[in-house]
This record gives sequence, C-alpha cells and structure tokens, in this order.
Amino acid sequence: MLKTLMTPPVHCWKGDDGSGQTTNTDASALNTESSDSDSSEDPEVIQASSSSEGREENDPDVPLKDYISPSRTDLHPNQCTGENFATWQRIIRVDAVRANAEWIPYSPTQATVSECRARRAADAVGLKDYDFLEPCGIFHAARLVAILEAYAVYDPEIGYCQGMSDLLSPIIAAITEDHEAFWCFVGFMRKARHNFRLDEMGIRRQLSIVSKIIKCKDSHLYRHLEKLQAEDCFFVYRMVVVLFRRELTFEQTICLWEVMWADQAAIRAGIGKSAWSRMRQRAPPTEDLLLYAIAASVLQKRKLIIEKYSSMDEILRECNSMSGQLDVWKLLDDAHNLVVNLHDKIETPF
Amino acid sequence: MGAYRTDDDYDYLFKLVLIGDSGVGKSNLLSRFTRNEFSLESKSTIGVEFATRSIHVDDKVVKAQIWDTAGQERYRAITSAYYRGAVGALLVYDVTRHVTFENVERWLKELRDHTDSNIVIMLVGNKADLRHLRAVTTEDATAFAERENTFFMETSALESLNVENAFTEVLTQIYRVVSRKALEVGDDPAALPKGQTIAVGKDDVSAVKKVGCCSA
Repeated sequence: MLKTLMTPPVHCWKGDDGSGQTTNTDASALNTESSDSDSSEDPEVIQASSSSEGREENDPDVPLKDYISPSRTDLHPNQCTGENFATWQRIIRVDAVRANAEWIPYSPTQATVSECRARRAADAVGLKDYDFLEPCGIFHAARLVAILEAYAVYDPEIGYCQGMSDLLSPIIAAITEDHEAFWCFVGFMRKARHNFRLDEMGIRRQLSIVSKIIKCKDSHLYRHLEKLQAEDCFFVYRMVVVLFRRELTFEQTICLWEVMWADQAAIRAGIGKSAWSRMRQRAPPTEDLLLYAIAASVLQKRKLIIEKYSSMDEILRECNSMSGQLDVWKLLDDAHNLVVNLHDKIETPF
Repeated sequence: MGAYRTDDDYDYLFKLVLIGDSGVGKSNLLSRFTRNEFSLESKSTIGVEFATRSIHVDDKVVKAQIWDTAGQERYRAITSAYYRGAVGALLVYDVTRHVTFENVERWLKELRDHTDSNIVIMLVGNKADLRHLRAVTTEDATAFAERENTFFMETSALESLNVENAFTEVLTQIYRVVSRKALEVGDDPAALPKGQTIAVGKDDVSAVKKVGCCSA
C-alpha cells in the first residue's frame, strides 16, 4: 500500500529534472515498480496543483518554475539569513548522516545495498564522516544529500532548512529512483515549503488555526492556555514544521501523510464539502487535516494540561515527549471528529 | 545517576541556553548532562527543547533548566525568543570544523542582543575526542574567550569529557553571583524562573573567569 500511494505521478514529471545534482548512481535496475503509478485510481497524492488555490499559504511568488543555476545561487545568497549554497551543503551533510534508520524494514532493496555501492554513492556527492554508519545508512545519507542539494538549487528562496531531511527520508525509502524521488519531494514541498520560510508566515498561519480549533472545541482548555500565555500554541511548533514526523514512527507518519494527501487530492479533484456531504456523513476533505490532528493530540492531554501544568514550558515538554506515545488511528479519529464538528467555523476566512 | 533529585525540590532555578551552529553537538551535551546519554544519530533540533537537572552547590540544590536550540540561522527568530530570562549560556562550536568557531562571534552578538549583559557565558569547544581532526586550537579559543570575557572549556559529549564540569561551572558561577548579591529567594523558589533577570555583575564574572579550564 505504501509503495502504491507513495509513488508519484511519474507520467507528469518524467523527463530531465534539469537539476544536474542528483547522482543517479542507483539508476540501475533496483526495481521497476514505479511504473505502477499509472493507475488512474490512485490519488495523485503528491502532485501539487500548479495554481496556488486560495487556501494555500499566502505566497504568490512561488519560484518553482524557474531553473536557477548553482552559481547564481552562490552569487545571491538568501538575503535575509546570509545563508548561501555552501552553508546549505554543510548543514545537509550534517543532517544526512544522522537520519535515523527507521525506514530500513520498509525498503528491503535499499536495506541490503552493498557497501561498495553505498560508498560510491557517498563519493558521488562528496559525503564524508559516515564511518559509524552501515552501508544502507551511508546509501540513504548519500541520496538525501543528492536530492536536498538539488532542491536547494531548484528553490533557492527556501534552500535547505533543517527538518526538510525528515520530510524527504520517507520518500526516498519508498522510491528507489533519485529523479522520481526528487519530483515527488518537489510536489510535497509545494505546500510544506511554507513551513521553512524565513518570515514564518506559513508557521504562524498554521499555529493560529490550531489555536482556533482548540478555542472552538474546548474553551476551558483555551482559557487555561491564555492564563499561561500559551494560546499561540507555540508548543506544537515542531509538529507543524515537520508534519508530525518527530512524534510518530515511520509507519505511523506514512499513514497520517497518506490520509492528508488523500484529502488534498479530493479537494484538487473538486470534491468539495457539498459534494462530500451528499456522499456520506463523514468529515469532508480538508487542506488542514494535519492541524486538526495536532489539535487532537493536545486535546488528548487536556486534563493533564489543565490540572498539572502551570507554564508554557511544561506543555512544550509534554508535546516534545509525545514521540512514540501516540496512536495514529485514534489521532485520525479524533481529528476527523474535530473536522466534522468544526470545519465550518475554522475554515471560514478570518 | 540515581542522585538526581526530583523536579520540585530545589533552592535555585537557573535558566541556561545552549547555542551554536548546527551539528556542533548541543543536543548531545544536553542529553549527556541530563540523562547521561549520547547518540551519533541524534536528530536536528526543530525550534527549541529543554531538559532539567539539579546539582548541589555548597549545601544548596541548584536546578538548571537548559534550553536547547536549533542551530540553523533560519530558526533564530524563534529560538532567540527563548533567550529571555537566561542567566547562563553555553556557546558551543565544533573543534573539528573551523567555520563553527568563526560563527561564535555572531552567536555572541545574538546572545548579548537578547539577554542581560551580565549573563554568564561559557565558550565550549565540543568533539575534543576527535584529536586527529582538530581544526581549532585551544590557544585560539582561549584567546577569544579572554578577549570576550567568557569562560572556556573543551568537551566531548561522546567521551563524557568535561561535560559535567562545563555545566557545573556555569551554574556555580551564577550561584556565586546570586548568593553574593544575597538575592533572597529561599522562601519562594518558584518565583525565580518566570523570566526574571538575575543581575550578574560584570566584575563578579571577571573575578572568577580564570577558573574555566581546558582539557585537550
């Protein structure tokens, strides 16, 4: 299931990606499964619509259509941070070698990659400092470097920001071809890139929605948060930035993301709220299922927060320690219940 | 590590921040100090995290609330909000990557822009176990620390070298200043952590500056 749903709509993206950065050292015959994405029934889970529909974060200047050469990126470092391509290269490598190994059971072909091939892949991207890693870890790290660097060239406004490797790792675990994984990631980032913007607009918008969901659902909890000056919901920052990747296991993450993507695909396919309500009495698709899930995870702790916690710090610690404690199905059920009850209030423009 | 006291049982609570470039080992310094754990695969910190540990100074229990921050400049707007109320800072660089030492100056400015000018700062050269890869000499770092009036230590979170010393030193210095100033908080220790700034006199810092030692 994972493989099928994760596969990008390659028929849309096939062709030279023009990045010139991906290694393709693994282009040889690992498998040919990627062609199964042609199935017209699969939601095009990762393909983003080219128009930035109204609800997408308010960023009109998505620069993704222009190819920008690495040299141009070098010459024009990100104006606000002073970060340039060399900085990104350095941080990408730091993060690539510390990617966790959770994906291994889900990607047997990559898990058994030979040491020789892994080292070749590492050499191809100039990756060092990996002596403590197994061959599959080296290979995974090398692929992360190749694709993240290509992305930084492709989208220099964002470049590389820590957390992006968390988002890419599951994608390359499922997709063995670098060029396909790259375009898949591009599609994913079409929405997620706003999380990494310097002006924090994407994050702030999402935190305010989480806050609004909690306010509408549980005024008692919300008043407590206000008392602690925590109603901005900053304590869920990490959940928003890397889409629950740090709190959930690999399998749970894929599960949640796929449900989110299915919702987004339904919206792109024009299945709006009214059509949905005729089809069934369930939660209509929403662009913001993630945010409902995040609010649900906080609401699950409402008693603890209200009775025991007297500062934002404590709530932050609680949220940061949810890793491994969550039941993704319960979370989705709770999130969907919130959607059913609140979407009319939450999703009106504010 | 069974000697750790429970969370609520302390005389003083000091807020520290861990800052420095990505990948210098901030999170591992924190996990080594608070949980005696180390992981080569410790993930990048997104935003901020914190951990606490209490130590004894004289006959008092000093509880450190240590905020670990994301290293990437992109996150600085968020992380710098957490500097507020910090009375101590460990500014970490990686002795094997010179660029992380070059950036120390920027971090120091960042810190001084957002905190009380008298905050106790320790420059920490981490990964001192990687002797064959060393790119920053102890002398250079010592000179920098003297010039900038900060403490200095080299540490290895991996080998557990000087980690305890670095944190303890910073906490002890803060304690000395606070107790010397006879800042009375004994009756209500909980009053201290709420973002209050403890005045740490510059002279006091200078007077004890030499205590910081190096390993190598």
